[in-house]
Amino acid sequence: MEKESGRKILMDPEKQFINTIRTALGRPGNQPPATLFTTSPSQEEKILLEKINTRTHQERDALIEQLRQTVPSLHMDLHLEASIEETARAIGRLIIEKEPEWGTSKSVVCWDHPLINQLKLSEIAELRQIPIHNTKFDGKDPQRKKEIRSQVEASFIGITSADYCIAATATLAMKTRPGHARSVSLVPSIHVAVVREKQLLADLRELYTLLKWDEAEQKEGLTCNLTLISGPSKTGDIELVMVHGAHGPRELHLFIITEAELSD
Amino acid sequence: MMYKKKKVTLFIQCLVDTLYPEVAEAMVSVLEDLGLELDCPTEQTCCGQPAFNAGHQREARAAAVKFIELFEDAQVIVSPSGSCVNMVRHHYPDLFMADPSMLERARAVAAKTFEFTEFLVDVLKIENFDARFPAKVTYHDSCHLNRYLGIHHQPRKLLANIRELEFIEMKDPDKCCGFGGTFAVKYADISSAILEEKVQNIIDSGATVVTGCDMSCLMNIQGMLSRKKAQIKVMHIAQLLSAK
Amino acid sequence: MYKKTAKKAIADPILQSALSGLQGRLGPATASLYKNQPEGPDLRAKAHAYRRKAVDNLDIMLVTLAEKIRQNGGEVHFAATASDAVAICLDIAEKNNVKHVVKGKSMVTEEIGLNRALMDKGIEVNETDLGEYIIQLAGEKPSHIVAPAIHKTRKEVGQLFTEKLGTPYTDDPPTLTWDARQALRKKFMAADMGVSGCNLACAETGHITTVSNEGNIRMATTLPRVHVAFMGMERIAANLEEHQAILRLMSMGAAAQQIGGYVSYIGGPAAPDHADGPASFHLVILDNGRSRILADEEFREMLCCIRCGACLNVCPVYGKIGGHAYGSAYTGPVGAVVTPLLGGINEASNLCQGETLCGACRVACPLELNLPRMLLALRAKLSEGDSRWDVKPKSRPEKMLFQIWSRVNCNRKFYDILLKLGRLIQKTMPSSNKMIRRLPWPFSGWTRSRDMKPLAEKTFMELWKKNQGGKF
Repeated sequence: MEKESGRKILMDPEKQFINTIRTALGRPGNQPPATLFTTSPSQEEKILLEKINTRTHQERDALIEQLRQTVPSLHMDLHLEASIEETARAIGRLIIEKEPEWGTSKSVVCWDHPLINQLKLSEIAELRQIPIHNTKFDGKDPQRKKEIRSQVEASFIGITSADYCIAATATLAMKTRPGHARSVSLVPSIHVAVVREKQLLADLRELYTLLKWDEAEQKEGLTCNLTLISGPSKTGDIELVMVHGAHGPRELHLFIITEAELSD
Repeated sequence: MMYKKKKVTLFIQCLVDTLYPEVAEAMVSVLEDLGLELDCPTEQTCCGQPAFNAGHQREARAAAVKFIELFEDAQVIVSPSGSCVNMVRHHYPDLFMADPSMLERARAVAAKTFEFTEFLVDVLKIENFDARFPAKVTYHDSCHLNRYLGIHHQPRKLLANIRELEFIEMKDPDKCCGFGGTFAVKYADISSAILEEKVQNIIDSGATVVTGCDMSCLMNIQGMLSRKKAQIKVMHIAQLLSAK
Repeated sequence: MYKKTAKKAIADPILQSALSGLQGRLGPATASLYKNQPEGPDLRAKAHAYRRKAVDNLDIMLVTLAEKIRQNGGEVHFAATASDAVAICLDIAEKNNVKHVVKGKSMVTEEIGLNRALMDKGIEVNETDLGEYIIQLAGEKPSHIVAPAIHKTRKEVGQLFTEKLGTPYTDDPPTLTWDARQALRKKFMAADMGVSGCNLACAETGHITTVSNEGNIRMATTLPRVHVAFMGMERIAANLEEHQAILRLMSMGAAAQQIGGYVSYIGGPAAPDHADGPASFHLVILDNGRSRILADEEFREMLCCIRCGACLNVCPVYGKIGGHAYGSAYTGPVGAVVTPLLGGINEASNLCQGETLCGACRVACPLELNLPRMLLALRAKLSEGDSRWDVKPKSRPEKMLFQIWSRVNCNRKFYDILLKLGRLIQKTMPSSNKMIRRLPWPFSGWTRSRDMKPLAEKTFMELWKKNQGGKF
């Protein structure tokens, strides 16, 4: 506390706050343990990383089987397609068959993402009448941002990829990057997610081990928003009756491309 | 079987001593049939649990001191009450944290105090007493016995070996009966509501006898069964084990 | 108030049925999940240790978290009291010209009375969790941490929506849910500011996490241009591996799920080259009495709580009286410990005394917190008083009764005399079928619904002495 021309100036609230905590903890008496933050993976984690890195196609097939078991109880739809082309055709069919939740006009919004771009949805003949937007954004034009927003709000299907897909819990892990707008997997009534088979992981522990210790993941960090999605939106708030489609998407269609990439 | 050589000192719960002496008689009968030598300090009263649970630790401590003085020379102490054994085993040491010498004495007494079914099954390793009790019987898991002492399968093992006894699990056997010590009187409406559910589960089980290892719970259950004029008997497991 | 509200709740068949359904469904399902985790049976004990470590080093945790969030363009505010936290939020709202707020479910914002303060400034506030939305429309308080409107029937919700939303009457939960979906969608799109809580922060990465199944928290923290997150200062884990273990356990405890439907790690505002997301992110870290709990070794464990609600789903008392009887943001067993510690032990004495100490909460807790131990500690303070916690001894009559009891208890002669007296007195009490029908004050509560076994003719000690240790 300092006095300045008769007016008391209190300690900065943040300093005061932390000080209160330190006093409560008996600091400086009680020193923190060295193991507060981990700096290298445990033996167990190293083994897990190796397991993930050396996973075979056959082992991943087993994960797909596990995913197949998990998906129904979460009210998710799983589609296995052998190639990008077949995936594109299947999604095209979905866009034609599904009805918008509100109104009658259809439009679709996509991530600006290599895998999604490869689908070339706007080139599918049957979809000619349906606007296929994407969320490419260079960070400069505020008008473009507004445009993206209204396109997302008007679209009845949102198409994204993901970083990983976890078989045990049918979870999609999605970081946020330029062109990978968060609202695409959230605002439209139907969420379509497309991943390659090699993006499959067994369980959440594998996901977190990668996020923490994989070199590339460490470099990027979690980003300002990492979202884990495990099924369409739901609630049981009225008499515990489960209803799908609370505020997020009512339907979640997960497409897995089983064909190996040329680089695999 | 080294315990057969030890003298068993009886720690009779105050409720059993003053309201249900027949339960203690049954327990004694079972232990005597095993050829065990028994002792019973007749100065014993209450272990102090009601006071402790109500927050009156000073008063509970006085009771604990008396108990320790009375029982610390025993070789092994056996009680027909799970909640009382929990008091001695887990809370007596708590009461003397500030008094190292009493703490040591408390710990020593705690280490040799056992609940009746725990003593029979885990210590003596005897599960069959050649008892016979033809009836449909259901069992209530008392909270302190079950969750604090971890005694759950021992009573069931004993019941399984009683001839002609048909054992029926009630719905939610380990759900609280609503007694909670002074809670039953201070928060009587809530206590009754919880008890109603337990009693309904007992009635729905189709059993003609409900048993358990703690007369606090059984007294509570018996009270409502009686008020409802339900034809279901309430008996401590010792009474079933001593039945021929 | 506690006893009155409790009595009303017990007599409400709809509430009783709802609570019974909730506990019947979630209690066993959660227990089953705990048993089947890849880490094995000691996952919960480990997670308890992780939380304890974070709490024991809370200063470093919070400083690290704040530093990282600020590095990523977010703002971090430290609020010593509820009114500080509210003032900070109002200030942010004013600076950002906020007229309309959408909210995710947050117990901390209930604790500080945020909604009222925002509304008093003329700001529209919409709760967006369906259960919270329902009770907001009804003008009520939540009755459960995870399912706030569990006490309302579908018919009641139907009538409420017709009245407040103008939708055609229905009592079909899906239709009602979609009515709310439509109504709230507009609010999400139009709102200026989204308010959320924070389930658990991760210090090393500099993120808070939010969890929901409805997607409302994602909507509220993605569409509006400002995001304000409120965090109880203790809600943090040190590193990512520990964070994930606790997060998964929290999902199990809250809704018997392996993981919540939507989990978001939020580390700051949207980057300038991101197509959407809030332009500004504010984290408000709240003390409001938590540092006092931290300073007391007896109660510090309570700061490990992650407010999942698993204890509510097994508590026999909560299962009968519901959430409203607790009269606070925190209900059930967690409320029975936290509310007295945050709001005054004397004021909330009924909460910590109105429990049976059955221990089901401890068994159900994903972190195995020893709530019964802390309830006993609170009761001890009410018995003797406590200067550190400003507790005045409660109930002198009961204390005196136990003091007398203690004297008698230590002297078998007096004890036996009193018993003899008791046997005489009980003859005057109305009885039938060898059971006492009515006990006098202060025990009359017992005999309102139960008979009482009378004192036996002879105590066991008398019988033993007579028998001199011979066969019974």
